[in-house]
Amino acid sequence: MSLRISALKYVEEIKNGSITAEEFVSKTIERIQKVDPKLHAYLSLNDKAIEQARAVDKKIKSKNVGVCIGMPISIKDNICVKGTKTTCASKMLEDFVAPYDATVVSRLKDQDAIIVGKTNLDEFAMGFTTEFSAFGPSKNPWNTEYVPGGSSGGSAVAVSALECIASLGSDTGGSVRNPASFCSIVGLKPTYGLISRHGLISYSNSIEQIGPMARTVEDVAFMLNIIAGIDSHDNTTVDNQKQDYLKEINAGVNGKKIGIVKEMTQEGVDKQVSSATNKAISNLEKLGASFEEISLDMVKYSVAAYYTITATEAGSNLARYDNLRYGYNFDLEGYEFNSYISKARRNFGPEVTRRMILGGYVPSAGHAGRYFLKAMKVKSKLTSEINEALKKVDMLLSPTVPVLPFKFGEKIDDPIALFLVDINTVTANLTGKPAISVPFEFSNGLPIGIQLLGKPLHDKQLLQAAYALQNTVKLPEVPI
Amino acid sequence: MVSKEEIKHIAKLMRIEIDDHVVHIDRVQKIISYFDILDKANVESEELDVKEQAIEELRDDKYILYDEKLIQSLKNYKGSYIRAPKMS
Repeated sequence: MSLRISALKYVEEIKNGSITAEEFVSKTIERIQKVDPKLHAYLSLNDKAIEQARAVDKKIKSKNVGVCIGMPISIKDNICVKGTKTTCASKMLEDFVAPYDATVVSRLKDQDAIIVGKTNLDEFAMGFTTEFSAFGPSKNPWNTEYVPGGSSGGSAVAVSALECIASLGSDTGGSVRNPASFCSIVGLKPTYGLISRHGLISYSNSIEQIGPMARTVEDVAFMLNIIAGIDSHDNTTVDNQKQDYLKEINAGVNGKKIGIVKEMTQEGVDKQVSSATNKAISNLEKLGASFEEISLDMVKYSVAAYYTITATEAGSNLARYDNLRYGYNFDLEGYEFNSYISKARRNFGPEVTRRMILGGYVPSAGHAGRYFLKAMKVKSKLTSEINEALKKVDMLLSPTVPVLPFKFGEKIDDPIALFLVDINTVTANLTGKPAISVPFEFSNGLPIGIQLLGKPLHDKQLLQAAYALQNTVKLPEVPI
Repeated sequence: MVSKEEIKHIAKLMRIEIDDHVVHIDRVQKIISYFDILDKANVESEELDVKEQAIEELRDDKYILYDEKLIQSLKNYKGSYIRAPKMS
């Protein structure tokens, strides 16, 4: 039995009786125990996973079993799983036990998925390397001296290193796609509203989405089929008419027009990343797609707009952490109300502390016009530009990240260098569009991913193109 | 450039203690200076993209009684109330 199998293959093998859920989940837990001390993908594990898998095996016999049939899935630790710690990789929430399941989690459980554990992230999902996790970073399984990307770095590592079949991350500015690219897996940031955010601990509500991460495009489509769709707990969700994202996934790209975003493919892009992008274009051309260059002038301001908007929303969202309703053991006695909260908040890590200060500054009286309002106008103009572009072409292509994965400590002291890592990913969030990262090539053993960005609610067409691109390459197996 | 005093003032309003963290002030200054790039975007005349949603499209404003267990999961509570430090 191989842990390398896809979600679809897992379902097939369970159905034909060649494996049982208990065997597969047990082997997955053994794998986690073996490799996770080196990789640190997980913050906590479900100690009832094997027992739950055994119960699913019994359901198989009664023919009343969900489509996941005991599949081991991990969940980013900013998504609530009832009765388990949900820490957001923060000392502030070190002891917080979620009192309910996020909608995405209850939908997976309804389909008999086994939640094997909660995965590492940058504290409150603020970062792109997992170096800001209060519990230590995750390591890239392709080379453990390198960052795995973030903030959903733990999820990407767990999927890549065969510590689960699939995972759920969250993507506010690239936090699913960036680690997917750095760890050579597939990551989808769906159209805004396609997946319920109920139970996702809020960072920047107006642009963030939960996204599936897996080793193949078809597995991401399989996950999307389960978790997408309207939810009364999240008013921003849209009715997807129960679309089947797996059906016709092999539709191909023949006749599709694809835009190459000038501002995401030229200046500041590593040579190797640029060469991989050109190869991806050539591969898709051979399959019948045509390409034209598209310019989105606002992209050069998108990172500043993104950080202004997200800091503002984060400043408001983080205000709930007063250590009175959620928090850690810190005695009230001897403190006045405000000084207690200030002292308790010393448990926020450095990046979260800075984002709170920024979140107070950029929308404040006297500064809002210069920063927040202008950022919102950039967002608006970027949306108009991309909508115009998507009238001419079916989707856009760029490298997911303009640089190769980098070593720990390389960018952590330079906030601007770190910000610019996400120049190619924030546009999809600011404009609500779906975007996917597809693993495409390696340079000196380090993965390179290609991003496709589509029209809103055309996630299915995006997955079809991603599937076509995926099948033009054969990539190596993870060395760990 | 935004002054150190201004950053300290904002931090105080956000109930964040940064007195002994000079590195925060330096980085926040750097980041805010980077945000000045927005001045070059030439978007003054741009209309804001406002989304409208009819009230009837919103979910019902239902009152759901909290679960007693929620209160018991708090670190400091008395009866059905959250305990907090005194306000000056």
